[in-house]
Amino acid sequence: MTGSRISKRYAKALLSLGQEDGNYAEYGENLKDFAGLCADNPEFSKVIANPVFSVDDRKKVLDAVLEKSPFADLVKNLLRLLLDKNRIGGIEDVSAYYTRLTDEILNIIRADIITARPLKDEAMDKLDVVLAKITSKTVKIKVEEDESLIGGLVVKIGDLVLDGSVRAQIEGLKESLKRGEYN
Amino acid sequence: MIGFETARGRSILITACTLIISVAFCGLAYASGGGEGGHGGSVTDLLYRILNFVLMIIILVVVIRKTTIKEFFSNRKEEIRKKLEDLKRDKEIAESRCNELEKKFKEFELQEKEIIEQFKADGALEKKKIIAEARERATQILAQADLTIEREIQAARNSLRQDVVEMAATRAEEIIAGQIQDSDQDHLVNEFIESVEKLH
Repeated sequence: MTGSRISKRYAKALLSLGQEDGNYAEYGENLKDFAGLCADNPEFSKVIANPVFSVDDRKKVLDAVLEKSPFADLVKNLLRLLLDKNRIGGIEDVSAYYTRLTDEILNIIRADIITARPLKDEAMDKLDVVLAKITSKTVKIKVEEDESLIGGLVVKIGDLVLDGSVRAQIEGLKESLKRGEYN
Repeated sequence: MIGFETARGRSILITACTLIISVAFCGLAYASGGGEGGHGGSVTDLLYRILNFVLMIIILVVVIRKTTIKEFFSNRKEEIRKKLEDLKRDKEIAESRCNELEKKFKEFELQEKEIIEQFKADGALEKKKIIAEARERATQILAQADLTIEREIQAARNSLRQDVVEMAATRAEEIIAGQIQDSDQDHLVNEFIESVEKLH
């Protein structure tokens, strides 16, 4: 999509309708599933977003997919509208912004945790609690593993980054030594 | 009477008259002596000769009186006197000029010495100045060189430190990565949670 402002406009419109009928969470899931489908099938995404093909042909392809999907009608109509307006390529932006809006409504914040080794359940629970405390919101955690951290973990919440990795500690020590702080 | 105004004219006239009279009397004396051959002729010849001479003297005196030869010599004397005075004056002027030039020459010699002395003094001063500047410049160059050396040493030290630290950090990462256990990870996670809690 050409701009995030347009994506936001579509997301806000869908959310407004979803709030009216109370199904905004379901719509969000539908958008997320469709964005995931496009991401997993780049050829499909290219076909429906490519203006070289006629709108009717592209709509036929989209309809063929939507007919087999369990998406709500409102979401299906939004997707068709996006295709008519040649905005279907920005579905990921629409989905992301919609998720952000629903998170705000539900007082949810998303945290990305990158860990050097798998975290135990006990540690996950503790992290959930402590992050909820410092953000005063319900935290939805996504965990990734990265061996290059050596040990420890990194938590990213929006613009906030809390780095407790061994790699960061070594980097800090290295910079201190380079500046001659330990002379 | 013929008047001769110039000295040259008068002298020509005197010379011409003298020559004419001398030739006349010599001719007369020669003619009178030609017919005689005895002793009495010799006395007569002598008398004629004396008469000739006296006449010649009288004629000369008359001629000299009639002409302006005296004036000529008087004028000539005056001219010579004037010329001598002129020459004397010229000599005095020349001597004065000579004295003046000698004086100037002496002044020039004196001035020359002063100029040479002045040049020597200026040269010595300039030499002193150049040496002082050279010393100052040398000091600056040495100070600059010291500073450059110090900077280079510091840069080399920093570079070495960076390299050592980089190598040490890389080695530390390798050692920790090879030795870290699950328990260490748990410990690190717990420490992290505690530190995050403190933020609240």
